[in-house]
Amino acid sequence: MNYIPPLNFSPVVSTDVSLYRSGYPMALNYSFIRDQLHLKTIIYIGDKNELSEDYNEFLKGEGIQYHHIFMDSCREEGVEERMDQVLRLVLDVDNYPILMHSNKGKHRVGIVVGIIRKLLQGWSTAGIYQEYGIFSGGLKGDADLEFITMFETNLNVRMAKVPQFALPCMLKVSNEAELWKPSLPSNESSSNSQNTLP
Amino acid sequence: MSVSQVSKTELPNSLDEVVRNLAAELKTTTIEGTIPRVEEEEDEEEEEEEEDDHIYINEETECGHKQILVSHAPQERIVPPLNFCPVERFLYRSGQPSPVNFPFLLNLGLKTIIWLANEEPQDTLLEFCDSHGIELQFAAINPDGGEDDNPWDGLTEHSIINALQTIVTQDNYPLLVCCGMGRHRTGTVIGCLRRIMGWNLASVSEEYRRFTGSRGGRILVELLIEAFDTKLVKINEEKAPEWLLTALD
Repeated sequence: MNYIPPLNFSPVVSTDVSLYRSGYPMALNYSFIRDQLHLKTIIYIGDKNELSEDYNEFLKGEGIQYHHIFMDSCREEGVEERMDQVLRLVLDVDNYPILMHSNKGKHRVGIVVGIIRKLLQGWSTAGIYQEYGIFSGGLKGDADLEFITMFETNLNVRMAKVPQFALPCMLKVSNEAELWKPSLPSNESSSNSQNTLP
Repeated sequence: MSVSQVSKTELPNSLDEVVRNLAAELKTTTIEGTIPRVEEEEDEEEEEEEEDDHIYINEETECGHKQILVSHAPQERIVPPLNFCPVERFLYRSGQPSPVNFPFLLNLGLKTIIWLANEEPQDTLLEFCDSHGIELQFAAINPDGGEDDNPWDGLTEHSIINALQTIVTQDNYPLLVCCGMGRHRTGTVIGCLRRIMGWNLASVSEEYRRFTGSRGGRILVELLIEAFDTKLVKINEEKAPEWLLTALD
């Protein structure tokens, strides 16, 4: 018995649900994925449109839902919407276990993981940068890190489907939003309070 | 549709947006200290917001499903320890946690921490474990070495087995394995665990090196992992974590 996990393989979340990350799975990794991960969903974040024959066969044989989120770099147009697509999949417990992969499991998956750490788990920026560095082999990827830091969205999802690992942070954010409202009751006073608040 | 109707329907939306944008602006300037965002982005957000609002109302009334919004990070962030990473379900690895990491550790709900060193960890960590009922287990590098022991020495077979016996027992979970930097000693123990799980040696080394920083992995650690006799760890199938049993099947 010799299991070969895909390149740069690691769990991202391993509590109530299993969310994994890796590079592009090759034929020699299939037995590991089949016997150890029991995946329901694979999300490929990358630029290859063609699915290789053996990979396609493997996905079909295992009954794994495959989603391709096209992404070349974080600078291209429409990348925010595609991040929302990934978040929607990740925020539905019915899709787990999930493997997210790019080509090498460094940059594109690194961006997605960074955004999950920030928006769904509330990790500090330094912690996110460090994790990005661990998986990118010390390559800096400044544009990716800037994208993670600046990324915000506006996505409504069904609360009952949100996995436990994300719920506390998401509730915290909505509580913080509640706290803001009373201090900004109308347009006029909100412009005043902007000046008076620290 | 008259003009007044149009403005009526748009007014609450735009007010709400003003409030939101103000809140976002205040947050970014006070907390993050970053440059205000570009106007283009705000325009896009407004459009999305309107769309999402409709979806929200429809689903709420028609299906009765409660919705929750994903928008930005919380103001209070949690800080993971150095080199933190999940290893398996409820099993984590890291460097030595410091007080800034304690809120993060509380989120993990740890039951046990394995500390891989001869010297004691910082007092703050000892107190943290005491006050939250976390069992801190020492797995000394070389029990006979005492304080003179060289911290660069690898782990002995005895201490690796000790740590692994704890790891293969579900009662100790959620569990954190850590050492000073979360590189070599933690890497040795996790590497040996991967070998028990039947991982290919090159993959074990890849994982180990990932956490070793700019100076890279140590050949001695990799040799230690390779030479480790996995049969020395006694696994009680009734008490082992499920993922381990899956790997051993």
